[in-house]
Amino acid sequence: MKAKEIMTKEVVSIKPEDNAKEALAFLFKMRISGLPVIDDKNKLVGMFTEKEVLAKILPSYLEKVGRFMYQENPKAVKQKITIFHNMKVRDIMRREVVTVDEDTALCEIARIMLTQRARRLPVLNKEKAVVGIVARGDVVKALFKE
Amino acid sequence: MKNLLPKFILLVLISTLLGWGSRAIGLNPHQALSIAIFSVSILGTLFFWDFRLSFAFLGASVLLATRTIDLDNLIKFSSLEIILFLVGMMVIIGLLKDAGFFAWVVSLILRIPNLTAKKFVFSIAIISALLSCAVDEVTSIIFMVAAVLEICDYFEIEPVPYVIISVLATNIGSAGTVMGNPIGILIATKSGLTFEDFIVKAFPLAILCLLVMIFLVLFWYKRSLRKLDQRMKELGSNELLIRLISVPPDIQTKAALSIFAITLVFIAFSHRLDILLKLENNTILLIVPLVVAAFVMIWKHNKAREFIEKDVEWWTLLFFLLLFAQAGTLKYTGATDVLAKKIIDITRNNPQFLTGAILWLSTVGSSILDNVVLVAAFIPIIQGFQASSVNLQPLWWALLFGGCLGGNITLVGSTANIVALGILEKEKNIRMTFFRWFWVGLTVGMVTTCIVWLALIFLPFYR
Repeated sequence: MKAKEIMTKEVVSIKPEDNAKEALAFLFKMRISGLPVIDDKNKLVGMFTEKEVLAKILPSYLEKVGRFMYQENPKAVKQKITIFHNMKVRDIMRREVVTVDEDTALCEIARIMLTQRARRLPVLNKEKAVVGIVARGDVVKALFKE
Repeated sequence: MKNLLPKFILLVLISTLLGWGSRAIGLNPHQALSIAIFSVSILGTLFFWDFRLSFAFLGASVLLATRTIDLDNLIKFSSLEIILFLVGMMVIIGLLKDAGFFAWVVSLILRIPNLTAKKFVFSIAIISALLSCAVDEVTSIIFMVAAVLEICDYFEIEPVPYVIISVLATNIGSAGTVMGNPIGILIATKSGLTFEDFIVKAFPLAILCLLVMIFLVLFWYKRSLRKLDQRMKELGSNELLIRLISVPPDIQTKAALSIFAITLVFIAFSHRLDILLKLENNTILLIVPLVVAAFVMIWKHNKAREFIEKDVEWWTLLFFLLLFAQAGTLKYTGATDVLAKKIIDITRNNPQFLTGAILWLSTVGSSILDNVVLVAAFIPIIQGFQASSVNLQPLWWALLFGGCLGGNITLVGSTANIVALGILEKEKNIRMTFFRWFWVGLTVGMVTTCIVWLALIFLPFYR
């Protein structure tokens, strides 16, 4: 089985110049944790996910400090949330996106998801335009179906 | 790419000139080549910081290919004992991080009763210095900046003065023990100075510099401190903050703290144990972190790989390893012996002049360059003075203090500065300008270096 056979073809996406607050509200509405960011030329430029939103509003040194104690609802986080409301999607999105081709095999997609810890992979055609998206659930379902 | 080309041309030009210059003053081709290649590594770290490891790899390869050094000696000079010491310490620090030791230390600062601006400055300066003495400057500064930002957020004041104070104290404190800075262990192993020597001679001098620095910054930032005092009166000191933050050390933290305390005790008595077991100086000092790290990895066997893969800075350690090998090549070829002899001739073997020259050169040098690079370059030269019967001890202290205190002068002077300012920029969107740092850094750097200079020259204790 190939990517093109299991992918969702109607790709819901957002634009880099969209407002970050509205994009987050859109994620909540769609009940999904991330969306591809596609520019006017139909090129994939990033991924906007809840993880990136969390990384933006929590202290940047969290990973380096290990365990850390904070005040309940620290002012710094509140300030960052206020700033977040006026940010664009391009300020938040992750720019390095792992993608697959339409002809990538199912097991290879599974391997990429597992090793790169990706929950969803955009599928690109030969012109590097996004033609679909494969979610982890699609891969598991397809593997068991096979 | 356009910006990189002039720097690359400058690098090649300076290194070639140094190579030719070395030939002109009578050095043989291998000696001149070792100087040229080492200068490529130094300039590589200055101009192309992100590519420093590539320069180190290429430099070592050229030295081997041109038979300037053989493989056995390259390995011998790479100072694996220092790398292993640092690996062991990094694993122990990984455990401390994981167990919440630093979170507990930070909460102690945030919960100081009846906090005032002066009390805050004294606390962050002293804890920054002691923490950098006990662990290392980079780990220490991340936690200290986190604590400073928490306090400044709570009182809604500008964090810059307090971040600068914490960094200045961290750099000064890093000279106090062999663990504070990689140059500490580097100097200790190459000079034979023990942890006891550091505690008896370097630590008091670092504390004196710290106290002087505190008084300087209290004067320098008096307006900011007045504002903080005012905010503390408005918000009722940090009573609310004390209620908000409660970090009783749990069993993991207590266990990690005990392990760290045992490590420090063994390191403190390492010289006594060396004598007792008739071992070479600093053998126990180098072994202790490895033994403790081994037990940590047995205790936390599920996380052992994580400690080694994530908490050990392999990129930096590999760079150090090859840098030490290249610096060793200067000694192996005899280039530094020739340079040492020429320096002795110029200074007419005047020890006070030599001490001052090394102190000030390393202070100015480490304000621009990575201090490990600078110290690695100086070590074989100082070792070369031994042939002229110069008392080396004050020169080692001069190198240690110059390498640490010089880091305070500019905002790129030490890794701690770069890490702290990076956090400040990411968290608060504050980009430090060169001169905002420079004037306070220069004042503290110059005054503290003068104190060390006077101590090394006038106190017989340091001779």
